[in-house]
Amino acid sequence: MTLAIDFMGLKLNNPIIVAAGPWSRNGDMIRKAILAGAGAVVTETIVNEVNIDVRPRVAYRNNGVQNIRLYSDILLEEWEREIDSAKSNGGIVIASICAQTSSEISFIAGKMEKIGADAIELGLASPMGEGLEVMAASAERIYEMTRKVVSSVDIPVMVKLSQNVTNMSKVACAVERAGGSAISAIDTVRCILGVDIKSRKPCLPTYGGYSGNPIRPLGLASVATIAQSTKLPVCGIGGIETYEHVLEYMMLGASAIQIGTALMLNGFGHIQGIKNDLERWMEANDIQNLSELRGAALSGIKSFDEIQVEPKISHLKDACSSGDCHKCISACIYGALTKNAGEVFLSPELCRGCGLCSDICPEQNLELIWP
Amino acid sequence: MNIKSVAKKAGVSVATVSRVLNHPDAVAPDTKEHILSVMESLDYKPNWMARGLKLNRTGAIALLIPEITDFGYMEIAKGVEDVAHQKSYNIMLCATEDDKNKEKGYIENFIDRRIDGMILVSTYLKKSDLVQIRKQDIPVVLIGKNEELAEENLVYTDYRAAAAEATRHMIEIGHKRIGVIYGIKPKLENEDKLEGFRKTMEEEGLPSPHEYFFAEENSLEGGYLAASKLLNLEERPQAIFVTSDIMAIGAMEKIKQSGLSIPEDMAVVGFDNLKLSGYLEPKLTTVTKPMYRMGLIAARLLFDLMEESQEDAEPQEILIQSKLKVRKSCGHKDRVKEIF
Repeated sequence: MTLAIDFMGLKLNNPIIVAAGPWSRNGDMIRKAILAGAGAVVTETIVNEVNIDVRPRVAYRNNGVQNIRLYSDILLEEWEREIDSAKSNGGIVIASICAQTSSEISFIAGKMEKIGADAIELGLASPMGEGLEVMAASAERIYEMTRKVVSSVDIPVMVKLSQNVTNMSKVACAVERAGGSAISAIDTVRCILGVDIKSRKPCLPTYGGYSGNPIRPLGLASVATIAQSTKLPVCGIGGIETYEHVLEYMMLGASAIQIGTALMLNGFGHIQGIKNDLERWMEANDIQNLSELRGAALSGIKSFDEIQVEPKISHLKDACSSGDCHKCISACIYGALTKNAGEVFLSPELCRGCGLCSDICPEQNLELIWP
Repeated sequence: MNIKSVAKKAGVSVATVSRVLNHPDAVAPDTKEHILSVMESLDYKPNWMARGLKLNRTGAIALLIPEITDFGYMEIAKGVEDVAHQKSYNIMLCATEDDKNKEKGYIENFIDRRIDGMILVSTYLKKSDLVQIRKQDIPVVLIGKNEELAEENLVYTDYRAAAAEATRHMIEIGHKRIGVIYGIKPKLENEDKLEGFRKTMEEEGLPSPHEYFFAEENSLEGGYLAASKLLNLEERPQAIFVTSDIMAIGAMEKIKQSGLSIPEDMAVVGFDNLKLSGYLEPKLTTVTKPMYRMGLIAARLLFDLMEESQEDAEPQEILIQSKLKVRKSCGHKDRVKEIF
């Protein structure tokens, strides 16, 4: 049994890649991530012109994070030393880079290859400091930039995509046509985390990128779409906190995954925990290699037209024992669930089989069945 | 104090000390540390002139800009400096004042001094001149593109496209009569901006009559003067596109003095994105002219050429994008650039 994977020609000892972000902002942090067991680390996004940090730049609410930090604050020349330091204990380092034109980005890519990056990730999807149309929103632009970078370096080129696009399939196909080696998705999602109603001000003073647990369903949908649109290996990103999340992404087509916000909140030690859990699960489920699982859930995604209409209705497995809990009753918009003398009753005539009560019941005491 | 004394005290050969100075990677770390500490104890400083002769290097690059007091060119210089500093190089900075002869004179001087490489901003040189410089084995990187100089190592921005983006934005806000204030210099750059403006107006079916164009010196005073003339027009424009922030600031002062409000009575859009422009009231909508970034990249390109044998390498043309920076002077009070 092994966690090792082959990802765009790179031999990773496990599929957990540390995503681009402030936690991979310099050589020392990257080295620590590698020592903590990451399969590879993506650098914070490197640009020609560094930016000064604003303060504050990160906000946290309801398991989600908004951040407004713009790219790496280390000069290209200094990254040479940083990559050396990052790889002083071995490991795989992927350089995330960003620029606005194909000639500029291929110039940076060339530099990164020269200073020892093992692969490139094109970070053209970040919503921070950008207008509504991020570069990754345009299939033509992504094609042009990917093609130029692919033609100027010999290392693999992965392209990070945004969920903030009209047609992700088109953009993914553009990466494949342009010769990209892999696609990673998704970047953070444009957000305003919240408003402090006392001061009447937003949590942070500009639109930012949303990450963490709440964006996982967006990431999952994007990864499934990319996996169904192209043959490229996919690296799933968005809200991964546990081994189950890793498996969900893989079953929807991801070969590897990236993790960022969970490390910002819990530290690099979190990586080993996920790896241990994955191994235990693989052993318990007799899985030798993670590639066996890749895309296993894709066939379960049907076109709406293909879904069979079945006369299923909800069903109480056992008599309900949670005295004061009315969750299923409040949630049933068809009035099928009622309570009488402390006991929950389900009316098969009124139930329309929507399925909500079975997810809402804290005891998992409701399920959909054929009547 | 010379290299021999260092070698003697350190108990190594002169060649080893020389290697520490010129190829430190080729010396064992312990030996290197020992020699460096001896140098420090003897307060030894290498003679750079002599060292330069030996290595055939001067440790300096030249930067030739059109105007020494211009903010934009200073930003280029800052970009070049940031990279040169990382490489332990010095910069020889000279200004042509847009004078072809002065430019030629400086370049001859750089060649005589065996400078290690040069960056030329908005040059008047022709292809044949560059070939001559290259014969001297001195790498050259250009900032700013002109029609004559294709297939060179150069860094440039597309002023036409940037001016078109700014013009289109003014039209989308609802301005139909748009005046233009432009600087007499830099000539080529401003011609590109005017072309981008005219073409966009034409595409949108809007007139850009001759009497709406005002040329002055590229300065605060020039902007002020041009705005004074523009405000005397019988049918005043609703908005002005200005080819530099500095002129836009001068123009805004005149508009305010005339009792008009910006942007309600007259919208203003500049070009350059000077730091100052974000601190004005109202904050100036402008186009970023990535001067600092062009300086950085030109220097990076130059050091690549200096450090590696680039004989067979294709020349690199790197386009740096100018971007519209929507603030308040164009007609938006509550909107920020992120919603466009």
